[in-house]
Amino acid sequence: MTWDAESSDEDLMLGYRDGDAGAFDSLYARHKGGLYRYLLRQCRDAAVAEELFQDVWMNLIRARSGYTVQAKFTTYLYRLAHNRLIDHYRKHVGAAFVSFDDESDDPPLELPDERERPAAEALDARRQAGRLLELIAALPEAQREAFLLQQEGGMSVEEIARATGVTRETAKSRLRYALAKLRQGMGE
Amino acid sequence: MMSEERDSRLDRLYREAERSAPAAHLDAAILAAARREVGARPRSLSETARRWRVPVSIAALVVLSVSLVTLVQREDRDELALMTPGPPAASKPPQAAAPAPPAPAQPAAEKPPAEAPAMRPRAAPSAVRGDERPMARNGLEAMPDSARRDAVTGPASGAGAASAPAPAAPPALQPFPAPPRVAEREAASPQAAPAGEARAIRPAAAPPGREARSAVADAPPAEEESAKALAGSMALKSGARVRAPAWQGYEKEPPQKWLDRIAELRRQGETALAEEMVAEFKRRFPEHPLPADLDKR
Repeated sequence: MTWDAESSDEDLMLGYRDGDAGAFDSLYARHKGGLYRYLLRQCRDAAVAEELFQDVWMNLIRARSGYTVQAKFTTYLYRLAHNRLIDHYRKHVGAAFVSFDDESDDPPLELPDERERPAAEALDARRQAGRLLELIAALPEAQREAFLLQQEGGMSVEEIARATGVTRETAKSRLRYALAKLRQGMGE
Repeated sequence: MMSEERDSRLDRLYREAERSAPAAHLDAAILAAARREVGARPRSLSETARRWRVPVSIAALVVLSVSLVTLVQREDRDELALMTPGPPAASKPPQAAAPAPPAPAQPAAEKPPAEAPAMRPRAAPSAVRGDERPMARNGLEAMPDSARRDAVTGPASGAGAASAPAPAAPPALQPFPAPPRVAEREAASPQAAPAGEARAIRPAAAPPGREARSAVADAPPAEEESAKALAGSMALKSGARVRAPAWQGYEKEPPQKWLDRIAELRRQGETALAEEMVAEFKRRFPEHPLPADLDKR
């Protein structure tokens, strides 16, 4: 069977489950960039990100025979990534990864004062983008994750909640916090 | 556009940020792993088998067909070699056949009663044709030994048949010993049918009476021996020795060799042999042109 841009992620994954390696090629091409950046910006270490990235895809490959469509494929994929990331934090970072467990301790975001910087309008798009990445990196992990899932996974609040295993309200709250801090950081 | 959960300006800025991507070696490793995982499944094996199923089937069919054709051709040649008598001698009945010495009449009761029914179905001389040879031969082989001996040699003590006049000559090429059986039936009831070829073909040199019977009875009863006896009978009937076909030795030769041989036979005056070879040539090489001077009759 041939796959094209019209084929849904779920169809591709079903095709791969049924033995079509070409379906996996298409699926991988669609999601490799987003997943990699999600991992890279969460752990902020390229070597670790590559290791986690490979693990996530290998887990997907091993689990393919039992795949059924129960949610969007991206939700399924980023759920695998989220779980792998939690494992990594627990193993290597330990208690430092606290923001997933207790959001009430969310510290106020320490951002550079925009008034000390040139006006936002004066910055070129690249510099603004670089500034945004700095702000994203400074977000608490849970809020950063919510924002990255929205941007890289194209997920709605409900899908973010499902992928991260929290309630819709929690996911929504994380996202709102993240957006507010980023807007504030960008001088709005 | 800005909402509580979405900010279009942030979306645009994020898209303009550095688009990191995994290294190429990671891509290759993951894609290879994905293919390995699929390739290890039994389904993949069945796909391979399905891919080769048709070619293997065709190859097997071709091999089977070629084997069958080769076998049939070889059998045809063998049979032809067995059945073809010499052309010149076959054109007329043997001289010695007519003045067959009358043998003393033997009562029909001497024969085993079971023989008569076995011979009746083939009694009519008109039923003996070349295309019925295989069936007729099988019928011969199915006979009891004594009946077969009689069928091959003719009733050695068939006085009725021997003593009757022999007005009709047998067909030139009588490939099968059905006539002797006819003669035997006539021996049982001489008035039922006119005297046939069986009387004509009885060799003058055949030892009459019980000597002939015992001489034949010493022969092995195996099918091979029966076939030899059959060939011998034919030779006796036609007055000619069974010989190899004129084209023997040329089976694998090219058409030109055949034409050379045919021309040589014609030069030597061996018209019958030449024509026999021409006939075989036409059968084997239907597409090959035959020079008019070689094809003349």
